[in-house]
Amino acid sequence: LEKTNLPNTLEMPAFADSDDDLEKSEEENSGSEEEDNDEESECEEESSDDEVEENNASTKPNQAKIKERKATPTLDSGNCTDDDGNSSKSDAVGTDSEDEQNADDSGETSEEDNGDEEDLLKEDEEQFEEDLSSDTMGALKWKEDLKKKAAEAFLNQQQSVPNLRKLVYGTVAEVEK
Amino acid sequence: MASKGNCLRYEGCNFFRQRIVLSTLSGRPVKIQGIRVKDESPGIRDFEASFIRLMDKITNGTRIEINETGTSLYYQPGLLSGGTLEHDCNILRSIGYYLESLFCLAPFMKHPLKITLRGVTNDQVDPSVDTLKATAIPLLKRFGIDGEHFELKVLKRGMPPGGGGEVIFSCPVRKLLRPVQLTDPGKIKRIRGVAYSVRVSPQIGNRIVDAARGVLNRFLPDIYIHTDHLKGANSGKSPGFGLSLVAETTEGCFLSAELASNPQGEGSTVLPEDLGRNCAMLLLEEIYRGGCVDSVNQSLVLLLMTLGQQDVSKVLLGPLSPYTIQFLRHLRSYFQIMFKMESKTFEEQKGAEKVLLTCVGAGFSNLSKPVK
Repeated sequence: LEKTNLPNTLEMPAFADSDDDLEKSEEENSGSEEEDNDEESECEEESSDDEVEENNASTKPNQAKIKERKATPTLDSGNCTDDDGNSSKSDAVGTDSEDEQNADDSGETSEEDNGDEEDLLKEDEEQFEEDLSSDTMGALKWKEDLKKKAAEAFLNQQQSVPNLRKLVYGTVAEVEK
Repeated sequence: MASKGNCLRYEGCNFFRQRIVLSTLSGRPVKIQGIRVKDESPGIRDFEASFIRLMDKITNGTRIEINETGTSLYYQPGLLSGGTLEHDCNILRSIGYYLESLFCLAPFMKHPLKITLRGVTNDQVDPSVDTLKATAIPLLKRFGIDGEHFELKVLKRGMPPGGGGEVIFSCPVRKLLRPVQLTDPGKIKRIRGVAYSVRVSPQIGNRIVDAARGVLNRFLPDIYIHTDHLKGANSGKSPGFGLSLVAETTEGCFLSAELASNPQGEGSTVLPEDLGRNCAMLLLEEIYRGGCVDSVNQSLVLLLMTLGQQDVSKVLLGPLSPYTIQFLRHLRSYFQIMFKMESKTFEEQKGAEKVLLTCVGAGFSNLSKPVK
């Protein structure tokens, strides 16, 4: 029975079909919503108890958003993984039960990240803003030529020879090699 | 049969046929759970139940347990016995759905399989009987499965939603499969096809052929698409028409494409001219993808390579289809066979990127075949 779990775990990421996707996202969403509700009610009841709870409550919605994005079939994995890392870090900071400032900081950073992502999505608006911001002080350099950068990254990915064996069999193939 | 390994477990309704077929070949029981649990009508569908009944017919000693809601299935395979059989296929899927699996199993029967299948011969989802006849049969011959009784014949045509078609498939048995080296696809030599029409004007077939030739004649002259208009009892229960095209290369590889009209009462009416033109475009797309085996039969060729003697087999394929990728993963879990994959790009040949797949056969031999 050792092997029995292996194929399942390997199958999930690339081949989760519509049914499975639905199931998974539903589970995740419902789970997080429940948690949210619980935490909110707890916060209302015993707000003075600990800041950790608040921190969690502030980061949870963001995580839920990220999860929803992950569930969508777009292949834009780079942003998602970055955000995941950030949010988990903030979680870790929160659970260390440090002072309120820290918790607030982490909350702000995650909000900023979200803002950036939305900017990326609305490219046209962003470019309009960029024109304005380029006149002002502290214009963000990374915002320049976003379309060009994206096109280059896409072409690079298209031209690079993928390791098919790894794509099909997962990382186990590498070990056996 | 291979040694009785431990039970494999899967979740969900996907790749149902793959799991059952590989289980039957490897002799390993399989348990599939959570089949459409969240669906409005949970559990296995009628066409899957029909597939399981077919598996029960061609084997001897198979144990199947399905729970009350049909969301969980335990399948313990028996021996492949074969013989002369008939089966009423569910009309939700075409006969191609059942035939694809029979191609995988038929060479390993105890008695040569001769089976009459009734149902839908051509639909928009599964490979049609015409396409399979033109591509899968020559492919099986490459592996040494040959003989005078090796044929697939369309007796009656049936279109969805009514069905009413009838097909005879007979296949000889083999003890061992030959290893193959399919590395050079060659160039396109000729294009053949069937434009079929049932319970509609016989002129529709000609209109399809004209439109398809209009596209293909620009590339090569050797095109013959014959029209197949069936009448009366041979035309099934529903009207419809369609086209199945096959391109043959100088090295004897076959690439196929097909299209069928919308079933009666579903969707808008399709013009025969549009259908012919679009199908010709699909064939060009398939030729662009290239490889020695078209995308419909990718998994069949990989299975037969896996089951071959302990010798190296090679095949050059176009871009792998998602179904094939999952099939490769299943081959690993059932047979512990992993393929070596190399991306190939040819400078002089245009087209999609090709993959060269290499494996050493599992040394599978048909022990049920009687020794004479």
